[in-house]
Amino acid sequence: MITCIKVESITKQFNGRKVVDNLSFEVRKQEVFGLLGHNGAGKSTTIETILGLKKADSGKATILGMNPLKQRKQIFEKVGVQLQASHYQNNIRVEEICQEITALYKAPVDYHQLLKKFKLEQFEKMPVSKLSGGERQKLSVVLALIPAPEIVFLDELTTGLDTAARREVWKTLKDLKKEGTTIFLTTHYMEEAESLCDRICLIKEGKKIIEGTVQEIIEQSPYENLEEAYLWFMGEEII
Amino acid sequence: MKRFFKLYWIEQKLGFRCCDGIIFGVAMPVGILVLIAIIAGEKMAGGMGYTYLESAFASLIAVGICACAFMGLPLTIADYRDKKILKHFFVTPCSPTWILGAVLVCNSVTAILSAISVTAVAVIGLGYQMKGSVLVFIGTWLLTLISMLSIGMMLASLCQTIKSTNAVTSAVYFPMLFLSGATIPYELFPTGLQKVASVLPLTQGIKLMKEASMGIQMDSLMGRVILLLSITVICSVISIKTFKWE
Repeated sequence: MITCIKVESITKQFNGRKVVDNLSFEVRKQEVFGLLGHNGAGKSTTIETILGLKKADSGKATILGMNPLKQRKQIFEKVGVQLQASHYQNNIRVEEICQEITALYKAPVDYHQLLKKFKLEQFEKMPVSKLSGGERQKLSVVLALIPAPEIVFLDELTTGLDTAARREVWKTLKDLKKEGTTIFLTTHYMEEAESLCDRICLIKEGKKIIEGTVQEIIEQSPYENLEEAYLWFMGEEII
Repeated sequence: MKRFFKLYWIEQKLGFRCCDGIIFGVAMPVGILVLIAIIAGEKMAGGMGYTYLESAFASLIAVGICACAFMGLPLTIADYRDKKILKHFFVTPCSPTWILGAVLVCNSVTAILSAISVTAVAVIGLGYQMKGSVLVFIGTWLLTLISMLSIGMMLASLCQTIKSTNAVTSAVYFPMLFLSGATIPYELFPTGLQKVASVLPLTQGIKLMKEASMGIQMDSLMGRVILLLSITVICSVISIKTFKWE
């Protein structure tokens, strides 16, 4: 089992408040790993600390065996990222944002093929702002895939999408998984975690509560499904 | 280099697509130049030995610089910061300075287009002839551009939100536009206002360009050059020290 992402006891504080608290986990090659928690549980801060966008107060994270703070250029030729709630330039067209991202990599894939694969090719000349929520999220997956990455990071990819759009995005992620891409995602939808993730890690106030496969986590709770098990682990009342 | 050019070209297309830069940076100075030429082109401006047209040419060529440095550049950077576009460059193999560089080049190109348009209309349409050395004039124009862009970069660094950037850029842009002599001839100002206007960095740039374009013996040339160079250095340092990606 090859480890792709290794997180060792990272802690990150803002104004004396621990947002990520001594968090450790590993993501293995070709698996879909989900980081789950409430809004404000520290999911985005964890992702940004792993990526080197924020510096951990203690502990360290490595991606493909490299330190993202020191080997940014090498890492990000092989890693695609979709940040939470990212937006694009005003008036930019689908093909232009694809061309712009393509220009950043040494060995990018042909974005036309990706657009075709995600059924977005008919929107190539359209302004990004005219796309529907689901189409825009699929576009952000396309952009994260332009470097032909070994790992993709997706931060709350489906937040705000309707059920149909969410399922369509899931399908594209399942296809990716089949092709052997390692996926690290954060979500607060249990259905999404059940449908996509090989392993999940539940966090609360930056601390790890439990980690394992969906089945293992359900079995360790008195409940039958992930949503109830999740609430139980989070210490919430189950109505 | 080829990859940077690709990035720049897309940003430039976006710049042209949203017409603000072209309207405020190119069409407006050309329009005012024509108006001044019609109203008072051949009249002498303030007994200084030059016409209003001659004065207007050197002033209006600064409007493009003003629009790009105090509006285009800081507003684009604030917008990209807000949209996490700058941050996204951190998770690519490219440095975020690429996108900043592309935005800087785009705004410089708009300023160059503005200067070319004003010059073309003045020379071809209005029969303007520069008395001074063209090369010296281009030098003073470049110095004015670079120093004003450095102020724009500093504004982009110091303002953290779109709202504050909007307020600050307006507070800088409009006084610079109206009081520096870029649009309203400086010669028409009462002496008191002239003194106030002289404090504005763009006024110094415009005076320098005026003197260069008219071939006036430039007593205070070195003083103004040193001032603009100092502004460039100080603002660039502040900009780099205080820049935030998000």
